[in-house]
Amino acid sequence: MALDRYDWLSRLASRIPEDCLVMSTYIGAVSFEWAHHTNEHPRTAHLGQMGDVIGMAVGLALALPHRRVVCLDGDGSVLMELAQLVAMGEQSPDNLVVFVVDNGVYESIGWGEHGRRATATATTVDLAAIAAACGVPYTVDISTEDQLVAEIDLAFSRNLCSFVNVRTEPGHSHVQPRRTDGIEDKYRFVRYVERLEGIRITGVPPQDIGLMKKKDG
Amino acid sequence: MLQHAAEEAIRGLEEAGIDFVSGLPDGWQRNVHELVEQNDSFQYVPACNEGAAFSMCAGAWLGGKKSALIMENSGLRVASEYIARISLGTGVPVTLLCSYRGDVGETEHWGVPHGIVAEPLLQALRIKYLVVRHVEDLCPAIKRAKRLSETQLHPAAVLISGDCVWDDGGES
Repeated sequence: MALDRYDWLSRLASRIPEDCLVMSTYIGAVSFEWAHHTNEHPRTAHLGQMGDVIGMAVGLALALPHRRVVCLDGDGSVLMELAQLVAMGEQSPDNLVVFVVDNGVYESIGWGEHGRRATATATTVDLAAIAAACGVPYTVDISTEDQLVAEIDLAFSRNLCSFVNVRTEPGHSHVQPRRTDGIEDKYRFVRYVERLEGIRITGVPPQDIGLMKKKDG
Repeated sequence: MLQHAAEEAIRGLEEAGIDFVSGLPDGWQRNVHELVEQNDSFQYVPACNEGAAFSMCAGAWLGGKKSALIMENSGLRVASEYIARISLGTGVPVTLLCSYRGDVGETEHWGVPHGIVAEPLLQALRIKYLVVRHVEDLCPAIKRAKRLSETQLHPAAVLISGDCVWDDGGES
């Protein structure tokens, strides 16, 4: 049993807190559909790639401990770099919840006459169990809508570092690909964080500052 | 690293405004990690490999931190996958402090390949770097590397060797 990706991402998008930040994988159907469900809201950093999404989310959560951070990753990406789970377990930031779209295949590469290429979660590997073994305080592996509803409620009603592995049906993207690249996505997210937090992330060249007229006194 | 060199590295990180440090301790920079961990100026987040460390540094920068990654130059090979994906792909700065194992003077045979790969790998990743072999150069090199990193929104590196790690007077 497994959930439909488009549907469960829609349900998650409708429930995420207005003031949270999201670190998401930036290519593939997860990113396209998440962007669609969230109207490309700049609170999402579509910047993660294979093997680095959770690591970046941990760094973001540690940098902004007062801000809830949601991470969207895929099973192939988590499998590529398990050291991310070690870092997540060691640091266990209370403000981080990871949702994994675990469809058991390498969806983004397409498929041929023999079907899709399976990931290890289709057979032997239990990502939630690995995350638990790495010390992540709360981990769960789910595959039904009722479980999803309950886990979304839990995720956003408490502060506890959590890893929610969502067994998901493989399937084509229901929406068109996104048109932006990582550079544009970065600036959009950074400017949003600067406004949200009242901070400066990128600098201004000192020579340019020197062009400003100094105030008297 | 010699203790007075490690203290200079810390001074460089502090004066550069670095406030988030990750990495994997190695034989030369173990004491730098210890000093960072003991210093309230830094949020210290150790990792079990340099790829995860780089990812955390990048995520922290997106949240407003000024990040540095401290590692052996062998760790560059591990981190390179994520440096390429994150920094070449999206433009995220992280200051890299690398032990330059395999530099002229190396005593360990296993350090030799690290020395062969490090500079060509940095060049392939379009990372500008300074090789520091004198303790008095360490602090300014770190500050300049961080400055360039923030200016170009891409990592810049300091490779550390020579008098910073050997107190041999150049004897063979």
